[in-house]
Amino acid sequence: MALTKAALQPTTTDDERQHSRDQAGLLLALADPSSLVRRWAARDLLAYPNASAALVERLLIETEPSVIEVILTTLTRIGDECAVVGLIRCLRTENAMLRNAAIEAMKLLPDEVAPLMGRLLNDADPDVRIFAVDVLESLRHPQVESWLIRVITEDAHLNVCGAAVDLLGEVGSECARPALLALKQRFIDEPYIQFAADLALTRIAAG
Amino acid sequence: MKRILVIDDAATVRLYHRGILESAGFTVIEAVNGLEALERVANMTFDLYLVDINMPKLDGYGFLRELRSKDIPQAPAIMVSTEAAANDQKLAYASGANLYLIKPVRPQRLLSHVLTLLGLTLPNPDHSL
Amino acid sequence: MATPLTINDEDFLKFREFFYRKTGILFEDSKRYFVDKRLLERMAVTASENFRSYFTMLRFQASGEELQTLINTMTVNETYFFREEYQFQCLVNSMLTEIIAHRTTTTPIRIWSVPSSSGEEPYGIAIYLLEYWSQLSDWDVEIISSDIDTSILNRARQGHYSPRAVQYLPATLLNKYFHRDGEYFQINKELRDAVEFTRVNVTDAAEMRLHRYFDVIFCRNLLIYFDDLSRKQTAESFYDALNPGGFICLGHSESMSRISALFRVRKFPEAIVYQKPWGVK
Repeated sequence: MALTKAALQPTTTDDERQHSRDQAGLLLALADPSSLVRRWAARDLLAYPNASAALVERLLIETEPSVIEVILTTLTRIGDECAVVGLIRCLRTENAMLRNAAIEAMKLLPDEVAPLMGRLLNDADPDVRIFAVDVLESLRHPQVESWLIRVITEDAHLNVCGAAVDLLGEVGSECARPALLALKQRFIDEPYIQFAADLALTRIAAG
Repeated sequence: MKRILVIDDAATVRLYHRGILESAGFTVIEAVNGLEALERVANMTFDLYLVDINMPKLDGYGFLRELRSKDIPQAPAIMVSTEAAANDQKLAYASGANLYLIKPVRPQRLLSHVLTLLGLTLPNPDHSL
Repeated sequence: MATPLTINDEDFLKFREFFYRKTGILFEDSKRYFVDKRLLERMAVTASENFRSYFTMLRFQASGEELQTLINTMTVNETYFFREEYQFQCLVNSMLTEIIAHRTTTTPIRIWSVPSSSGEEPYGIAIYLLEYWSQLSDWDVEIISSDIDTSILNRARQGHYSPRAVQYLPATLLNKYFHRDGEYFQINKELRDAVEFTRVNVTDAAEMRLHRYFDVIFCRNLLIYFDDLSRKQTAESFYDALNPGGFICLGHSESMSRISALFRVRKFPEAIVYQKPWGVK
């Protein structure tokens, strides 16, 4: 026994050979009992961008984390409107792992998410608004700073404002100063807001 | 020196907690998510964990469940969240949290809970923790 | 307008937080000079008027090229034999022990080294196994090493190295496994024959499908240069390339914590590595 020269092992296992690799076969494979088969299908469906609807439907019922991850990677690569809308649906899921993973995926699709951002920032659910602010971190959009300023000016919810202040420290400019000072006044009794706003004020002055 | 692991994906929140805890003499180590937190745990021991819930890759619940399943000396964990739903509290305790607090936590309140969980009182200026 | 000569404290903190969030690398205050120097260099190269404009470009550039270039300048990239040797120690002392304990058959143990670069890593693994793995006589081991660049693969197959590349090898090993070829050292045929070099683009799912059933993957200082999505995608491919219970080792400043949640952290006395759980597919 020793170091031996390897041959590559391209053989597929029996369960993998069951489904054909065309779109129909792959869609069937997405529901296969084997998580390995589902992962391969989710990966291979990248070749069929109009499969994003099917991928979203599977995502919402999938329980195996490794399959969720691969579906999300494929959806992010496809990045069409259907994929983005699907990711946004995940914001409201009870499945925390899926929700957080979907937020991460949306951060990788800034241009695709941008058109929907205004609506998300006005969502009735404060948690959705917090997630929306989180996604803003990766958005290159002329409106980001003004969106953040509007949030800290108008949003009633302390933690939504907290999330926005955090990001303003990184992307904000002098334009944000009046709103930050006003925020401090609005939440004069909240030490975290005082801290975060002061930090942001220092950071925007430096830039 | 008591060492506290502060786990939160928001840098400002970590900095805020760091300021509070360091001013009371604790050593603070940070992690941005539950996975990084597990790596910190692999490298050093902690006296207390301050754990955010919503984080990418591995959230607070996932981290705590993983932590509590390890055969290592365990330490108290304070879970902090923006959520106030009763379900989340139950889940927090089921995952292995000792305490569940709503963010943002006021400095004195955080310190008071930390000291209680560590069985300490506010130090005399001559003593370090 | 001349590029400024210094980075102020707040800008350094802003940059440090961003870099830590992206890479997991946290610059201590002691690294201030090191970081500032490189930032100012990149600002000059990119003709950025000030830190703010550079930082904006860095954050939002679609290709992510500047961030990758910056990471490149901030991390040390030299390749040489027995780089990050503690992981090879972990291989022979811990990882292989666990792998063979779970083996019910004597199928070969398969190790994958990616990227091969000029071969220092896969050949280094081979030497380590020959010298330090007491069980090598009981097991067949296959070492596969891959790179996207075919010319570097050819260089790796030739196995010629400068004195610099072999400087950390004990003299006994150098004499045993290499022979002098002018200024260079060539690794002996026995070792050149022990490694299978293949061309692969790790972000190509079809090519990755051919690389399966590995027990250990070394992927050090490659993922750090990828954009977030490619990194995640590659980690997912590595997951499928591993047998259940298989291990993956990243570079010392790298971590799965910003890449993928699929792997479990495993702490061994020699190193922290990542593992595909036992009992999954």
